[in-house]
Amino acid sequence: MSFITQIFTLAVFAIFVNNFVLSKFLGLCPYIGVSKKIDSAVGMGMAVIFVMTMASTFTWLIQEYLLVPNHLEYLQTIAFILTIASLVQLVEMVIQKTAPSLYKALGVFLPLITTNCAVLGVSILNIQENYNFLGAILNGLFSGLGFTLVLVLMAGLRERLEKSEVPEAMKGMPIAFVIAGCMALAFLGFSGLNF
Amino acid sequence: MNLWKEFTKGFIKENPVFIMALGLCPTLAVTSSVENAIGMGLAATFVLTCSNIIISLVKDLIPSKIRIPCFIVVIASFVTIVDLVMNAYTPEIHKSLGLFIPLIVVNCIILGRAEAFASKNKVLPSILDGLGMGLGFTLALVVIGSIREVLGAGQWLGMNVMPMAYIKSPMLVAILAPGAFIIMGLLMGLIKLVNKGK
Amino acid sequence: MKYFIKLGLVLLLITAIASGILAYVNGITADKIKGNKVLAEQEARKEVLSDASRFEQRTVTLPAVAEEPNPLKNKAEEGPRQFMYYLGYDKDDQLSGYTFVASLYGYSSEVKTMVGVNLDMTISKIKVIEQSETPGLGANASTAEFQGRFLSMNQEQLKVDKDGGAIKSLTGATITSRAVTNSIADGMKILADAVSGEDK
Repeated sequence: MSFITQIFTLAVFAIFVNNFVLSKFLGLCPYIGVSKKIDSAVGMGMAVIFVMTMASTFTWLIQEYLLVPNHLEYLQTIAFILTIASLVQLVEMVIQKTAPSLYKALGVFLPLITTNCAVLGVSILNIQENYNFLGAILNGLFSGLGFTLVLVLMAGLRERLEKSEVPEAMKGMPIAFVIAGCMALAFLGFSGLNF
Repeated sequence: MNLWKEFTKGFIKENPVFIMALGLCPTLAVTSSVENAIGMGLAATFVLTCSNIIISLVKDLIPSKIRIPCFIVVIASFVTIVDLVMNAYTPEIHKSLGLFIPLIVVNCIILGRAEAFASKNKVLPSILDGLGMGLGFTLALVVIGSIREVLGAGQWLGMNVMPMAYIKSPMLVAILAPGAFIIMGLLMGLIKLVNKGK
Repeated sequence: MKYFIKLGLVLLLITAIASGILAYVNGITADKIKGNKVLAEQEARKEVLSDASRFEQRTVTLPAVAEEPNPLKNKAEEGPRQFMYYLGYDKDDQLSGYTFVASLYGYSSEVKTMVGVNLDMTISKIKVIEQSETPGLGANASTAEFQGRFLSMNQEQLKVDKDGGAIKSLTGATITSRAVTNSIADGMKILADAVSGEDK
């Protein structure tokens, strides 16, 4: 029972209380860049969830079995980012072969997942928060879910926004930020949630 | 090539944050105080300038196919150096900036300048480009940080600048997450307005 | 095939050079980084027990508490739970007081406080050394004003006013105030037992 509770707690924290975009400020570039249409947002979100989960797995293993035993903790940044870059390259090749329409839709944003601070961020956080292997994988998965949730919500809001009258200077990115702020305000309500 | 122009373009005309919308994650995260903003800005400027130098020096030796991973290794090395040095000599700021120091490596500004400029130009212009963009980044961070710190805590660099009545009860939301987003959006809108007017 | 090997070798070479440089930088900074942490704690200790010039460490093993380990995190420490405190000696080498670190999860983070205790088991001074509570609310626990409310308090008085004690909690930050107060109260109880045990 306690095991399930812990997983549930982790999920709630990762998705709502410590939402990667709205409270940790991670993953903002794709958040603002890809959230114009719900379809591309969902596609991007799925790709990010996959990369974040895989990245959490591999970076944890590298930290535990390569860096720590050899006292090479200072190489964490290089090792992690190279792992993530390779992973994204791999994902790109797989998607190109298996789902070419998705590949086309995501375009340049797919390789840009490498520079998505959320991916490197969650890898480093897993180590800082002292998660074990299972915890790291789950944290990567749930944080990715949180990212996708707000990404899709944002896309929905922006699609609606197309039909409203926004002042000329605020069109595009400025109003997107203000809306993100309102969403962040809502999510701030989750802070302090404790079981 | 006008060297002075290369240096100053990063300040206003091609400001990485306000005009090119790069490096957004650290921008919102570290601007809750001007001190953090300056710390991050200078750290990023250091990494940007150094990596620009190295990449410009070795640009002809790196096969094009693996240039991005190579750039990443160079950038990540300087980020690690900054991380270790800050941890040793400025532990307070290192603690405040926390996760965002290693995240400098995925700051799109640095990889962007490496790809768009340093890999195609000589060393001296690359140095100026790096310094200019870095300082423009720092400038943007300080502007946002000032607004947030003054509104949210009534202070600037830790010094009280608002009347005591305000400091007792400031607009807290400005230093919290929602305030960051909203202030950023309004600032960007303002800048767009000013640019349109020109 | 040869082309890919060449690519791999170039990348490997660059990474190797980078690692070498970093190993060097790590070598020069590692000790300073470790030293900084020790120095910070020492300074906090001196700040809460101002007339002490020398400190001696003592450790007490606490009775085991049946705590369910978090299945998602690594086991933090092996072995029995321990409480560490310091005896403070002034320049005449007389015992002047004790210090310990109180720690409890507050609203959104672990709150750690360095506590200085006089020989009569009242607080000499406290200093919140680690917290990430809400800025403007719980984070005000680090202000001198809040910390001043603990001066000369003994263990019985250490409860927030809402719980019937003598400590006025921060506006809009009861949880943080409680975390600080209760962690200090718990620590003082353990300290009192440990000290009386030592006298015997």
